[in-house]
Amino acid sequence: MIAIQTGDVDIGDLITSAKRHGTGAIVVFDGIVRDDDIREMELEAYGEVAVPELEKIASEAKSNFNLLSVDIIHRIGRLAIGENILVIVVSAGHRKEAYEGSRFIIESIKAGVPIWKKELCKDGDRWVPGEHSHGCGPGK
Amino acid sequence: MTVRVRFFARFRELLGTDIMVNAREGIVLSELVKEVASRNQDGYQAIFDDQGVFREFVILMQNGKRIETSAAGTTLVKDGDEIAVFPPVAGG
Repeated sequence: MIAIQTGDVDIGDLITSAKRHGTGAIVVFDGIVRDDDIREMELEAYGEVAVPELEKIASEAKSNFNLLSVDIIHRIGRLAIGENILVIVVSAGHRKEAYEGSRFIIESIKAGVPIWKKELCKDGDRWVPGEHSHGCGPGK
Repeated sequence: MTVRVRFFARFRELLGTDIMVNAREGIVLSELVKEVASRNQDGYQAIFDDQGVFREFVILMQNGKRIETSAAGTTLVKDGDEIAVFPPVAGG
């Protein structure tokens, strides 16, 4: 399952369906709205480009790391502290491929998929500048 | 000819999104973005520097394909194109 959606996802269901013939390891990455002294987070995506790019990343990860399955669900809209932002579930024969494949996917998403985050702070809002600092505290 | 221009994130807040533009034949990508961005001074300044050059972090797409800002001055825009303009991504 590759999706950009407003709703949450049941990680347990994803794990269950990721168990394939030959699966020896499943790695779950769950990116969560961190309490960086913010109220909420708002996410938007260029969906027509972002979904095909996620599909391409999943396909590359499968072939490069011998993954048996890949699920990527990236949420958009307004999210509260503690909510899931991004869930990646990969299944592989062995833990090494599963860890490396999962890492490849998250780093590829951060590097180039057109999705943006805005932190809604108590004293104003700010767009998260890529991989740079987060949070609304002093000096941010 | 008709072109769709889409801004995202901070650029969207300043300039709007899903803007249908009646563009002249032969216009290049940099000119088109400049014309549309000129509708709002803050939006223009977010995308271009004082010399009218794309700021280094600006990302352009033509029909979903990345176009380097350095090539935008020679990239022709065609009827029905979708042009996207956005700041660095921050997903994940």
